[in-house]
Amino acid sequence: MPDQTPPIALDIEDLTVAYRSQPVVWDLDLHVPPGVLMAIVGPNGAGKSTLIKAALGLVPRAAGSVHFFGKPYDEVRLRVGYVPQRGSVDWDFPTTVLDLTLMGLYGKLGWIRRPGRAEFDRAMHALEQVGLQDFAHRQIGQLSGGQQQRSFIARALVQDADLYFMDEPFAAVDAVTEAAIVNLLQELRSLQRTVIVVHHDLDTVTDYFDHVTLLNVELIASGPTTEAFTEANIRRTYGSRTLKALGVS
Amino acid sequence: MQRELPSSVPLMTDSNSRRPALPGGIWRSLGITLMAILLFVLITNQFFNVRYDYTLLVVALGGAVLGLLSGVIGSFAVLRQQSLMGDALSHAALPGVAIAFMLVGRQMGALLIGAAIASWLGAQFIRAVTSTTRIKQDAAMGITLAAFFAIGLALLTIIQGQQNASQAGLAQFIFGQAASIRLDSLLTIALVGSAILLITALFWKELKLLTFDPVFAATIMRTQPVEALLSTLIVVVIVMGLQVAGVILMVGLLIAPAVAARQWSRRLDQMVVLAGIFGAFAGGTGAIISAADSGLPTGPLIIIMASIIVGVSILFAPERGVVWELWKQRRERVSFARRNVLISLYRHAQSHGDNYAWAPQELITGLYDGPGKRALGWLEQHNQAVKSGTRWQLTGSGLQAAEQFLNEHR
Amino acid sequence: MYGLEQVIIQFLLNFTSQESINTILNDPRIVAIIIGGLVAASGGLLGVFLKLRHMSLTTDAISHTILLGIVVAFIVMSSILGLEPDLSSPGLILGAALAGVGTVILTELVQRSGLIKGDTALGLVFPLLFAIAVLLVSRFTSNIHLDNDSVIVGEIGVAWANTNTHCYTGCEDVVITPEHPAARVGRVCTNCSPGGINPRSPEAVFTEQCSNCGTYNAAEAWAQGLTDVQPLLVLWPRSITTMGVITLLNVAFILIFYKELKLASFDAALARALGFKPGWLHYTLMILVSITAVGAFDAVGAVLVVAFFIIPPATAYLLTHRLGWMLILSPFLGAISALVGYDLARANLLGWLPFSELIPGLTWNTSISAAMVIAQFIVFLLAWALSPEQGFVAAMLRRQNQRRHFEDQVVMGHILNHQETLEASQELATDTLHQHFRWTPARTQQVLRRLRRLQLIVITQNRVQLTEPGVRAALSFEQTLRTGS
Repeated sequence: MPDQTPPIALDIEDLTVAYRSQPVVWDLDLHVPPGVLMAIVGPNGAGKSTLIKAALGLVPRAAGSVHFFGKPYDEVRLRVGYVPQRGSVDWDFPTTVLDLTLMGLYGKLGWIRRPGRAEFDRAMHALEQVGLQDFAHRQIGQLSGGQQQRSFIARALVQDADLYFMDEPFAAVDAVTEAAIVNLLQELRSLQRTVIVVHHDLDTVTDYFDHVTLLNVELIASGPTTEAFTEANIRRTYGSRTLKALGVS
Repeated sequence: MQRELPSSVPLMTDSNSRRPALPGGIWRSLGITLMAILLFVLITNQFFNVRYDYTLLVVALGGAVLGLLSGVIGSFAVLRQQSLMGDALSHAALPGVAIAFMLVGRQMGALLIGAAIASWLGAQFIRAVTSTTRIKQDAAMGITLAAFFAIGLALLTIIQGQQNASQAGLAQFIFGQAASIRLDSLLTIALVGSAILLITALFWKELKLLTFDPVFAATIMRTQPVEALLSTLIVVVIVMGLQVAGVILMVGLLIAPAVAARQWSRRLDQMVVLAGIFGAFAGGTGAIISAADSGLPTGPLIIIMASIIVGVSILFAPERGVVWELWKQRRERVSFARRNVLISLYRHAQSHGDNYAWAPQELITGLYDGPGKRALGWLEQHNQAVKSGTRWQLTGSGLQAAEQFLNEHR
Repeated sequence: MYGLEQVIIQFLLNFTSQESINTILNDPRIVAIIIGGLVAASGGLLGVFLKLRHMSLTTDAISHTILLGIVVAFIVMSSILGLEPDLSSPGLILGAALAGVGTVILTELVQRSGLIKGDTALGLVFPLLFAIAVLLVSRFTSNIHLDNDSVIVGEIGVAWANTNTHCYTGCEDVVITPEHPAARVGRVCTNCSPGGINPRSPEAVFTEQCSNCGTYNAAEAWAQGLTDVQPLLVLWPRSITTMGVITLLNVAFILIFYKELKLASFDAALARALGFKPGWLHYTLMILVSITAVGAFDAVGAVLVVAFFIIPPATAYLLTHRLGWMLILSPFLGAISALVGYDLARANLLGWLPFSELIPGLTWNTSISAAMVIAQFIVFLLAWALSPEQGFVAAMLRRQNQRRHFEDQVVMGHILNHQETLEASQELATDTLHQHFRWTPARTQQVLRRLRRLQLIVITQNRVQLTEPGVRAALSFEQTLRTGS
């Protein structure tokens, strides 16, 4: 019996993305094996978020192809989860934490159908996983920043996807939330899920992630953290001046 | 900022968490609205001699249904931060009304279709300008609003110059005239209205997700059709509402009920239902007043009714309203003062080496002035301090309370 | 105002005769164009800063709510103080200015409550104030010329008819006594009444009465043929003076505070840090907008006036990036539109091309102010189409160029990345190259042909390769890509 799972979770070939003909991601090849926890790092404006959005078809690709588990995105939409940046929504929106979590199931529900008992139970379970079960009926504006981020992660968890993109989940959260999210990420990896995280903090890359992609418009390096996250690569990504400013050299 | 609790330890139970999702709130507001309507009908009937005959009932129902639709669909416009888009689109409808009139004459259906087309063109124009030039959304909306309105007015003045008899029918589109609603147009309004409500209910979850988080929505469904659906609903509701609210004030009917409803609700379904109720109330009562007193245009009356609801909501809504906020601040100030006075007495006693040492009242009033005095009174009433002349002493329970505060704060 | 007009007329009489001044001022077209041009100039100047501060819609709101200020001031002045104000009365202008600033403050207050965000607050405040104003107009001011139609459209024709009379010679009042040859004297029965004493009855008592006796000013006397002396008159439309003064006020404000306005419009935070008070400037700007809107109210009405603040500045913005040029272009374009607009309304372009006759049977007589706005809109559309930088014709050409350049770079970058590698043979085969980009084969071939023509690539044995200049071009492009290095 041949191995049923394809060897590559995310396969990006020759991807180029441009805003008004200004390249933001340039001729990028990226192959992510399944079951890894990967950070995407790079300076501001290096195209990290754009890379994710282009992979998900949220911004148009100027050239190149993207495959998930050997298939184009449209065929495997439900196997791919996404956590946008926390600042991308209006947290004063009248909705509850439970309701927000249920939104993760809308894709599986399809048009018109409403969430039922089973969906509620799954959402509550996801909220328990992120420690927000007692906040289920709160309006989302009443949460702290860290709790908001965790509710976003809960929404992704109910998607029950095989591959997750997370855009800066550690941005402006407290230490407790950061630890909780890291735990969840590692749990997901132990379940053979692939998680790709846009990350800012170079100090924690080695602790949190087993794979890393260094990006500055072009792909600088990608692979297991031990191999790719070298000083030379970091220097090539950030430029030596920036590196000194970060106190990494 | 709330204090964060570690996720591994059992979390403090949130007092709201087990409360069911407030359907009672909806029924309560429905009840209040029904009573308000009853009161309104009684007062207008008894004191202003408004006769609730068949014609007035039709007009009132028409206004109410249009208000309801505006409230429901306006909620989405407000939450998408597109409030003033409604203003631009309603102004943009005017040339459509005029052209339709020139082509087929005074047929409500044709006028509305013309209005919808013009309004839709206005939306496309705004999009085209913002996407191809450096001109921002606000200026693009201003250009559209003024230019389309001017074209509409120019056409209307031409029509008025040619057919004097029919001009009255068109002027209503500027300020709204509910009295023009007849039974057949009420039936049309009801039919289209039910369709709008049905569509909103059917695509509820898609509309909600698109409004809340369009980026995430795009990863799990095709958003263009939903986007188009929502814009169409907004345009249709604006165009129908023009009959009662008029081109200039339609934006108020679209957003005021939604803003008021937002203050009372924690969930979108509550907000939409409440906005519908508020809109219906404003639309119905505005239409009745204007029909009863033909000198007054309907639009301004509806807007004033809706604004009163907004004012009440902003002031008195629980957990958000201005009054609630002030009351909360006051309560916090008072309990803060009590605690400080208690701790001052305790510190004074400690510095004298005697838990029950007497402290002069000036010590407290010097530090906390009036609030300190009131706090002393409260402590005396609650048996935490006793007074002798102008000197104060902690009681046993006062001592305990002070120690507890200090421990909590460490 | 009256004194000011006299000074102006005296000055003009140095150059020209009273007759030719009157000929000009009697022509509705010229008066309408002068007033429209002044409104356009004022609005166009202020509008530039409003546009840069993203306050276009605030202007819209203010132009509606000044109506409330006007109506309330009107009611107060006429029913409490017993005056007869018109739109150039200081009281009404003050009321309008207060209403305009009040709108802005109320909106900011609502926003500050934190319950209602951004634009929505504006959308709540101005319909309410406007609604109150409209109801007051329908209820309390039915006997004056302020009605809901003129609120919407305004009418420059009214501005033309609304004049101050200035008299130069032959200005003496004419007193008609019963002895005057022009006096109309008749016998009137003093004790007659219907059903009572009949004028024919002998009891009827008659007295002589003069029906037109009294004091007439020179103009009235001449008009009624009561005197032979023709007075030398100048009929001066009041709106010209009002709008002229307002325009000068706006020009002065911009000249004096140019530097501050420029800074505050581009970077309010920096302006504050440098010690300017953008808040103060902000409210002054709002007051000027309100005053300008009142001045224009007579001529163009509350709703259309907003176009004069928004459309010409936006047009200027399409044509230039420089603030100075915008301040020149915007009022100029507005004034041109006023001219074209008047002729559009009267279907008589530039005074000699009568296009109303093109469509027989159509009485072409539309609102002048609406036509002026339509003219502004047409100018805007032209600028949008033809602007060398932002026009969509230019943009289309540029975008095509950029796309080509970009495609070239994509292909060359791909070749550069792969030509020295092991998989070069499959990555760079000409017949499969398009698969890597997900382009159509035709598009890829087109790019390859272009690159070959430019001698940046060569194709040998069905494989593409960069030439020496090609490598250099690809490398230098890659250098420009990265940020932070």
